[in-house]
Amino acid sequence: MVPANDCHTLETPSQAPSATASPVPLVALVGPPNSGKSTLFNQLTGLRQKVANYPGVTVEKHMGRVRLSDGAELDLVDLPGVNGFSARTLDERVTRDVLEGRAPGLRSPDAVILIADVTRFEQQLMLCEPILELGIPTLLVLNMADELERRGGDIDETVLADELGVDVVRAAVRSGRGVEQVYDFLTEVQRRGPLPEHSCPAVSNVPKGVVLPTVDVFRRRREQVHAIGLKAGFVPAGPSGFSDRLDSILLHRVWGPLVFLGVVVLVFQAIFTWATPLMDGVQAVISMTGTWIGSFLPQSWFRSLLIDGVFSGVGSVVVFLPQILILFLFLGILEDSGYMARAAVIADRMMYRVGLQGRAFLPLLSGYACAVPAILSARTVEDERDRLATIFVTPFMTCSARLPVYALLIAAFIPDRPLLGPIVGLRSATLMGLYALGTAAAIVTAFLLKRTLLRGEPSAFVMELPPYRIPSPRSLALRLYDRSKVFLRRAGRVIFAVTVLLWVLTQVPRQDGHAPPIENSVLGEAGHLIEPVIRPVGFNWKVGIGLISSLAAREVIVGTLGTIHGVQDAGQGSLQLQQALKKDLDVGGAVALLIFFVFALQCTSTLAVMRRETASWRWPALQFTYMLVLAYAGAFLANWLI
Amino acid sequence: MSTNLKWPLGAENPPESSGESEAELRLADIPLRQVVELVRIDLPSDQLEPLLERGVLPGCRLCPVRRSPSGDPIVDVDGSVLALRREMAGCLCVRLSEALED
Repeated sequence: MVPANDCHTLETPSQAPSATASPVPLVALVGPPNSGKSTLFNQLTGLRQKVANYPGVTVEKHMGRVRLSDGAELDLVDLPGVNGFSARTLDERVTRDVLEGRAPGLRSPDAVILIADVTRFEQQLMLCEPILELGIPTLLVLNMADELERRGGDIDETVLADELGVDVVRAAVRSGRGVEQVYDFLTEVQRRGPLPEHSCPAVSNVPKGVVLPTVDVFRRRREQVHAIGLKAGFVPAGPSGFSDRLDSILLHRVWGPLVFLGVVVLVFQAIFTWATPLMDGVQAVISMTGTWIGSFLPQSWFRSLLIDGVFSGVGSVVVFLPQILILFLFLGILEDSGYMARAAVIADRMMYRVGLQGRAFLPLLSGYACAVPAILSARTVEDERDRLATIFVTPFMTCSARLPVYALLIAAFIPDRPLLGPIVGLRSATLMGLYALGTAAAIVTAFLLKRTLLRGEPSAFVMELPPYRIPSPRSLALRLYDRSKVFLRRAGRVIFAVTVLLWVLTQVPRQDGHAPPIENSVLGEAGHLIEPVIRPVGFNWKVGIGLISSLAAREVIVGTLGTIHGVQDAGQGSLQLQQALKKDLDVGGAVALLIFFVFALQCTSTLAVMRRETASWRWPALQFTYMLVLAYAGAFLANWLI
Repeated sequence: MSTNLKWPLGAENPPESSGESEAELRLADIPLRQVVELVRIDLPSDQLEPLLERGVLPGCRLCPVRRSPSGDPIVDVDGSVLALRREMAGCLCVRLSEALED
């Protein structure tokens, strides 16, 4: 291990702070998963966080601004939770790039904070050696010290600081303990100013110039950490009785799957029972506001642009927020409490059989809200092939955007009859069937993928089960804020842009200075153009127009169909629209349209995110084509049979 | 640290005449609450890292704590609780430890 080195501590700065106006210093926050890293990041940055995009790289950096007591500021980058620095996983590669100063758009870090769960000291401190080789000021945060003490463990952090040659802080970040010392460290970093551009040594699992079998390296590091721990008087914590007892239920042969099922059902209840009325409410407010604003303006293209274009565009994004928020709140609670790891273990065997793995469970479940954040969170799947398979099938998960379309068509064409007594009606059975169909398509596709394009050795699955913890409301709230921002930035911008663009296409070519009737507009012409192709599936040119518009964003079809039929305030609940649709489609065609929406990839945001995550257009193109073919075939079959 | 450790070099097996008299014990065969010591990992080198990074190293103490609903072992590894697939537990060569159960 690197001996005590002045460069790591801040007692004797080796260079004078820059005199000229210097860029804001950058500090990197590194640590294993479940070490409380995100909690610390949130404590330090609060709402002053942003998610930055870097062109050409499939990476998002979590950046935040830390405001220090003297008013000065510095940047903090929250790196993904990693267990090591191999090139094996995307998260580890990203972390290395940032630490080595090779991430585009980010300067080399001027300091690094390494946070570890001290109750798993020997294992988590394995990251220390590669970090120390960076040769920049380092702070080691021994988090969860309260838990260590409660379970009868101990450590002498001053001896540890001497042994490692870095500043060490004992902390319990959730309750704020130790955070002040972190601020002190950051203040010193800020005072020293940014380091001059330096080439950072490579960070890796293998030290420079050494070529050894990896096990040897790990063993050596572990022995060193163990020796250091002994010198620092490390007393391991006793077993966590509470987590153990809870696991005996939650991982029980019978109770485990039952609770798991209950949790999944709860999550879906959240979509149907709670989110849908909220969505309807938001939709109503938006329409009313739109009408109210419109009453002030004279009839003109500007009014049309404002109301039917911009306002409608914003509205079609905002209407999803209730569902996104509720779902991500649930998932956040499950994750932070530690239950999600257990759910991944329970789901793993089933998912393994179809070519996925337990870690894909959370991303896929998130896909029921929106595929965009779901695909991004697939980064936790370490095996590259498993990750690709997960990303590829995520769009089959019935996302929020499909719901308005389903609701409209079911209300218009499926009679409100009971199916299984008073409990299950024909309409809800249809809805559940559509959800099931999407899920089935995902399973089959994953299976096929793993047999063909992504064939290979089964992946290693090692899942850490962290101790159960009560989620902190502040962390939850900040994560919710963060995920909604991802949705709004990525999906929201695209949906908005598409809505406005489609509005434009309905406004040209002009007839006598007015907008043409929709069938003569550019969009209308396109609808006529594809009619021969979609006739066999039961669709006419009007539905064709809707289909074209929905290829960019699914729910747009509702508004488009409304415009075509001259229906004011066209929403999924609009009776007028439902009546109008019955003239365009018969039941067979309606079911065909539903099936089409189950399978087709109609989301530019998803394509964009897929491209970023797979670093090429090959996979999104393949996915789009595959899903389109499946959608057409399914719709054809449905129309033919009904 | 114990001395008699073998290198997990994938397909390579220790020579037959190594003189080891104990039968090959795999983690998958170990009953619950029995503490064992990891001797060797029989996996190709490119699959080792997820285990190594999480502290599953030759010489570490393993103790199966329970089985998941699908029968895969949940193992305490020097204080951390890890879930493994049973196929992987079958690749972990262990020997009984003299240490008593936690």
